[in-house]
Formats: sequence, C-alpha cells, structure tokens
Amino acid sequence: MISVKHLCKSYNGAPVLRNVSAEIGRGEIISIIGPSGTGKSTFLRCLNLLEHPDAGEILVGHTNLLDPGTDVPELRMKMGMVFQQFNLFPHMTVLENIMLAPCTLRRIPRTKAREKALELLKTVGLLDKAEALPEELSGGQQQRVAIARTLAMEPEIVLFDEPTSALDPTMVNEVLTVIRNLSKTGITMIIVTHEMRFARDVSTRVLYMDEGIVYEEGTPQEIFGSPKRPRTRAFIRRMDMLCFELDKFDFDLYHFRSEVDDFAVRQMMEQKKRNAIQLVLEELIENILFPRMEKTQLEIGISAESGEAEIRALWTGPAENPLNADDEAGQMARMILSKRCSQREFAQEDSRNILTLKLFGETK
Amino acid sequence: MNLSMKKNEDGTVLTVIVDGSIDTVTAPELENRLEGAYAGVKELILDFAGVDYVSSAGLRVIMGADQRMSGTGRLILKNVNEDVREVFEMTGFDELLNIE
Ligand SMILES: Nc1ncnc2c1ncn2[C@@H]1O[C@H](COP(=O)(O)OP(=O)(O)OP(=O)(O)O)[C@@H](O)[C@H]1O
Ligand SMILES: [Mg+2]
Repeated sequence: MISVKHLCKSYNGAPVLRNVSAEIGRGEIISIIGPSGTGKSTFLRCLNLLEHPDAGEILVGHTNLLDPGTDVPELRMKMGMVFQQFNLFPHMTVLENIMLAPCTLRRIPRTKAREKALELLKTVGLLDKAEALPEELSGGQQQRVAIARTLAMEPEIVLFDEPTSALDPTMVNEVLTVIRNLSKTGITMIIVTHEMRFARDVSTRVLYMDEGIVYEEGTPQEIFGSPKRPRTRAFIRRMDMLCFELDKFDFDLYHFRSEVDDFAVRQMMEQKKRNAIQLVLEELIENILFPRMEKTQLEIGISAESGEAEIRALWTGPAENPLNADDEAGQMARMILSKRCSQREFAQEDSRNILTLKLFGETK
Repeated sequence: MNLSMKKNEDGTVLTVIVDGSIDTVTAPELENRLEGAYAGVKELILDFAGVDYVSSAGLRVIMGADQRMSGTGRLILKNVNEDVREVFEMTGFDELLNIE
C-alpha cells in the first residue's frame, strides 16, 4: 500500500534521512521506534508531504507522491495524522472540531457529518463531551477528540507522531486503548512511539530508525525479544531501564516513587504489580542499603517484552551480601524481599557489589 | 497519609481512621499521633479502609501499638485491604494481630 524507496532529506546540508526504504502493506500496524533526532517525525512528515523529500520515491497505492501532478489535498484526506500536540481549535466545541474538515473539505452535509462525529465520539468514549470546549477537557480527552477528528475524514492510513508523549502518565492508557481498538478495524497505521510495551502489543511490524536509515526491522518479538544489530540492542535495553544515583542524605522517597511509577505505567505494568515493586524498592533502599552505605547506584528494568522487573543495586565496599545479614532492623525487609522476589542474587565484580532482584519472573 | 481520631463517651475506645500510605516517611507521624492518645484507652481500633500501602516501617509502628495495648486492653485492625493484608501475611503479622 505504501512503498518508500531511497528517501533522502537534509536540513541546511545536514542529512537526516540518508536512505530510507520501507514497504507497508494494507492493514498493517507499523511502529517506528528509535532515539531522539533520528528523523522519525521527518519521515512521517515526508509521507504526507508536510516536508518535501530531496530524493527517493513514495508510492501510495499507484500514486507517486513526488510527481508534480499529484493532488496533495486529496492525498492528505486519505492519510490522516495525529500529532503529539492535539491542536484542537480552542473556540469550537468538540463536535464542531470534528465536523469542520468533513463539512468544508469533503462538503458533507452538516446533519450527516454530525451523525458521523457523534458515532466517532462514542467509539473514543466521549459522547458526553460533544458540546464541551477543548479547554474543559483533560489532555487525554483532547487527544481522543483529535483522533476522532482525524477519523472523521475516513482516511485509509493514519499516521501517529508520539500521540501520548505530551500527556500526563495517568492519561496515557486511555489514549493507547483508543488506538489499540482502532488497530483492530483493519485500517493501516504508522505510529512513532516511545511506548515500547504498546508497540510490542499492537504492531504487526516494528521499524527501528537510526543513523538516517531503517536500521533494523522485524516482528515485535524479533525487535524487542532478540534484536540483532548493536544499536537496536542498546536502544531496547535503555528504553527498558531507569537509573538512579541514590544518596542517603539526599533522598526523597516520594519523588523517587513517582518517577518509578511513571516509568512502570509507561511499561504498562498494572497497579498491583506497581505496588509490589514500590514495596520491594522501599524495603531495599531504606532498610537494606541505606543502613550500610551512603551512596548506591540503582537500576530498575521492566521488560516491555515479558513484564518482568529487575532491580540492580551497585555499590563499592567489602564483599558482603546484605541479604545474609541478621540485623533486626532489616529482618522484616528481608522477609518481604524473599516473598516478593522470584530471584535474589549477590555478586562482586571488580570490587563492586551487585545485588540483583527479580520480580514477576519464573521462579528459579 | 491522613489521619483522624475519635473516642467514645467514656474515652475507653479510640478509633483511628487512617488514609493513604504508611511508609518510611509517614510511619513516624502515625507513631507520634498514637503516642499522645493512649491514656485511658482499653480498645484501640485502627480503621484501614483507606490504607492502600504499608511497608515495614508501618508494620513496626503497628506492632509497637499492639504491644503497648496488650497489657491493658487490645488493638484491633479493621477493613484491611487485600494488598495490605498480603504484607501482614508475608511477615507473619497476621498471626500476631487482631485483624477483623
Ligand atoms: N524544519 C526543520 N529545520 C531544520 N532542522 C530540522 C527540521 N525538522 C527537523 N530537523 C532536524 O532533523 C533532525 C531529525 O528530527 P526529527 O524531528 O525527525 O527527529 P525524531 O526522530 O522525530 O526525534 P524525536 O524522537 O525527538 O521526536 C533533528 O536533528 C532536527 O533538529
Ligand atoms: Mg519526533
């Protein structure tokens, strides 16, 4: 349905897209992932000609987009785009926002457009907000309206550029749910996203962009489970990880907890597991680590692939497994860790102590 | 954590309604508030309907309160939610405390 060949785009002589090629079939759900600044947005914008490529070819169906004779407005109607910023018209109601393009560009009669708009509002769960102004809605609700507005044009392809990046973590899921439901309708979708677990769950294929090319592509299982190339691997590992330098004398448990929770929400970890990981972390930090050392490095990994969590604490000092200590203060903490963790390992490497805890994995 | 207390007419039954999280940060406050309220109390009821998280710091305070009451009366925990109950079970506290 979309065929991209050797696409190139530079800004002021600096190449962003060096040689991007991709084949996207009808009904596919493609996720595009990759580090910041590697041209993911630029690529999407080239697809619907918000940017003009320097070289290469884009075929949508049998239309060559870069032909001077191509009807660009017609193409844009076929290809809807949802941005990070929702860009609703602030002085129009939700309903009017959705009806605007169908009435003006497609010249659909108002009664019909209205019917369609209400139907779409229902599918995004916002029927009761039809008469509200955008400012009366939360960010998540505004983004759902923006999606409904895009769908009102009945596009064959929808492009999403980080639709949840501007949202408060508590609102991410409601938007992802709408996109997930949409993915089951057979529409073709290309989604640039940092929500790895989501990409894994909904995509038919994942493109990893880096160095101005599609550096690696594959099924979600291939890209998240066993990426082949070094940059893909490093990226997947980084996205699944949160790192802290903890200092006993400068530690704010609540601030720490909310950072961990935001991360866990984005990895789509459910509430009960999030509570469990918070408890393990508090016990580990307050009752096992801080009584023994001032500074610790902490890494928290939540696999987008399996939902498993791994906590690693690293510190320098004598090799002594704090989980084997018998101080009374740490006793309850050790009990909790032993019940909540499927694996607990201590090791010393290069005079660094490493304590590894795993949650929700297979018990060894 | 939020906390409110009420006593019955003769001051022998103290009900403490706790909300939120009892953890390293909030446990000392719970301990302080209880400390000022024991006098004359025969039955201390901790209503945990609004408590969604308890860590070992919280358990220690609850244990302390239980010991404090054990000579002259008793401590009863009410409306403990499932997650919190699991923490009691993991540490064997469910055996030691009166949980209704
Ligand atoms: N209109 C523009 N003019 C000049 N440079 C631009 C323009 N748009 C993008 N760039 C540059 O092109 C590069 C790629 O940008 P792009 O927004 O496509 O990256 P991205 O992969 O979407 O990154 P992110 O994950 O941060 O959204 C960046 O270095 C950016 O500064
Ligand atoms: Mg971008």
